[in-house]
Amino acid sequence: MTTYVALLDGGRREEPVEVRRTGPGAYEVRLRGEVHAVDAFRHDHGTISLLVDTASYTAMLDERPGGGRAPAPIVHVKVRGSTFPIEILGERRLRMRRATGALTLDGRQELSAPLPGRVVRVLVKVGDAVRAGQPLVVLEALRMENELGSPKDGRVVEVHVADGQAVEAKTKLCAVE
Amino acid sequence: MTARKPIQKILVANRGEIAVRVIRTCREMGIPTVAVYSDADRGSLHVRLAGEAVHVGPSPARESYLSIDRIVAAARRTGADAIHPGYGFLSEKAEFARAVEAAGLVFIGPRPESMEAMGVKTTARRHMKAAGVPVVPGSEGPLADEMEARAFASAIGYPVMIKAVAGGGGKGMKKVEREADLAALWASAKRESASAFGDDRLYVEKVLERPRHVEVQVFADEHGNVVHLGERECSVQRRQQKVIEESPSPIVDEPLRRAMGEVAVRAARAVDYRGAGTVEFLVDAGGAFHFLEMNTRLQVEHPVTELVTGLDLVRMQIEVANGGRILRQDEVVRRGHAIEARIYAEDPARKFLPSPGKITYLRVPGGPGIRDDGGVYGGWVVPPFYDPMLSKLLAWAPTREQAVERLIRALGDYVVHGIAINAGWLAAVLDHPAFRSGDYDTGFCARYEAELLRPPDPRLEPIALIAAAVEAFRREQEEAPVRAPPAAEPGGSRWARLGRERALRGGGR
Repeated sequence: MTTYVALLDGGRREEPVEVRRTGPGAYEVRLRGEVHAVDAFRHDHGTISLLVDTASYTAMLDERPGGGRAPAPIVHVKVRGSTFPIEILGERRLRMRRATGALTLDGRQELSAPLPGRVVRVLVKVGDAVRAGQPLVVLEALRMENELGSPKDGRVVEVHVADGQAVEAKTKLCAVE
Repeated sequence: MTARKPIQKILVANRGEIAVRVIRTCREMGIPTVAVYSDADRGSLHVRLAGEAVHVGPSPARESYLSIDRIVAAARRTGADAIHPGYGFLSEKAEFARAVEAAGLVFIGPRPESMEAMGVKTTARRHMKAAGVPVVPGSEGPLADEMEARAFASAIGYPVMIKAVAGGGGKGMKKVEREADLAALWASAKRESASAFGDDRLYVEKVLERPRHVEVQVFADEHGNVVHLGERECSVQRRQQKVIEESPSPIVDEPLRRAMGEVAVRAARAVDYRGAGTVEFLVDAGGAFHFLEMNTRLQVEHPVTELVTGLDLVRMQIEVANGGRILRQDEVVRRGHAIEARIYAEDPARKFLPSPGKITYLRVPGGPGIRDDGGVYGGWVVPPFYDPMLSKLLAWAPTREQAVERLIRALGDYVVHGIAINAGWLAAVLDHPAFRSGDYDTGFCARYEAELLRPPDPRLEPIALIAAAVEAFRREQEEAPVRAPPAAEPGGSRWARLGRERALRGGGR
């Protein structure tokens, strides 16, 4: 049996999941105090047909590189039109992550450019109090202006760019603590 | 008039889905094609589908797809005798049409004079007024600066719309609700307009109350025939960019269709139009319609009209360019209902941030009444240089209600891995009561912004967790080093061994 911890909502929530194999493609999964008989049939490219007890689901698993200080890949699991970004940690990785304290949004968070472009305007300065989602920088990319929001509530502790500056993807723009 | 030599080879001066769309019809007509491509687009789908392909420069459009000289040179080099401009890029540049004709090639589109008459929005408005076509109230010409704009806006009253004189596609267009916002939006529109069109002149129009964007497809040949193919309703817009288009419009009945069609035909005649064009109108809450602009090219949303009329608009463009005659107005038959949704590489959950990158997997929907006009494939890297539209997904059905259900179903089957797409958000738009009822206007996306970002259904979260955990488990088993390989007994069955190994790995039976 293997125990995993699934991180949801960008690390704000944890769910333990236990998996035990009972046969080819057959598993017993314990989740939130319930045990489910699961039959998983892998189709192509991340598509899994899941029979959970008798209900039939298609789960599409799209693995993407994690952002920020969470280098583990985030798997976007889509079921019946709902998508859940999930980070699955085995016990060893979980211990490592706990040791570095990088599990949640606590502490300093970097905002970096998701695309190459040009900084149209920096809307904040060091010391400003900001709310999660509040626009910090306006970036022009693909001929459109995009507002980039704060990753969390907090205070701006660093600003690395200035109005008019050209930036590459992943360039650090500012940090919020 | 002597019959001219029909077009022998067409160069498509575009990329992405529209290049693919044009090449498809050319292949059906047996006309050889030439693609052009930038550094970023060597692996693009249109390059593979065309009969020939010519590299025209570096990735930035300015140095490749917007380079008139290089595109005309590519046509010369390959012996293409006609150029199809698609939409965007050079498609509405009269200068390009002139250069093509000066090189002795056929421009598949209107005459340069018609493009000029409609291309500068303020000039177009004057032409239309003169032809007796109703226009949205606004400044006569471009406004010199923010001060002039402020004075004009105060005179006609807020809200007003700042627009690019060279405009199109929503670029350089900003809605101003109150005077305090004017300065910032004027500056932003100026920047966007300069970067998109190389022309930063702006003008100001009155914003109508709860307007609907309804446009009429027109077609004209060189023999003085002009017809309209009915309307498209394009009121679902985000930041002035259309996202959903449908035909018929829920607010257009037969008399209104005829009235708008006649005005659209009059507008086309006023500028001696040729080929495919679209006359855009704003319809106000009282049902009165006003000329907005004419797009002198094929529109992104042209397949909506193709589905309800059964016509191939690209084929008709080529036939007109060959000197052919178009169908008569009474031969235009409209049937059923069509809706288009634009699939973008963008993340609605992150303020619609563009999401270029590698498509690791792509599966497009099918089934009854579905059409996917795409320009990408699994494995393709969506470059960060161009518009991030991947595809247009359309549904046709006998009724509007069925078409809505069909498109929602198909959007749910659209699978793109590796990058974010807006398919779930589009389905939420179609499923919204205001859209379903047909009672919506151009303020739809802003008004219902929060409702359209539907959170995932919490009842499905356990299923997602099970899927992720089982997959992690399976992968660990598979990646674990193979322990003690089964002894290769003489005569032992390799099938049995394979079976045991599979059982060990689990999953994938």
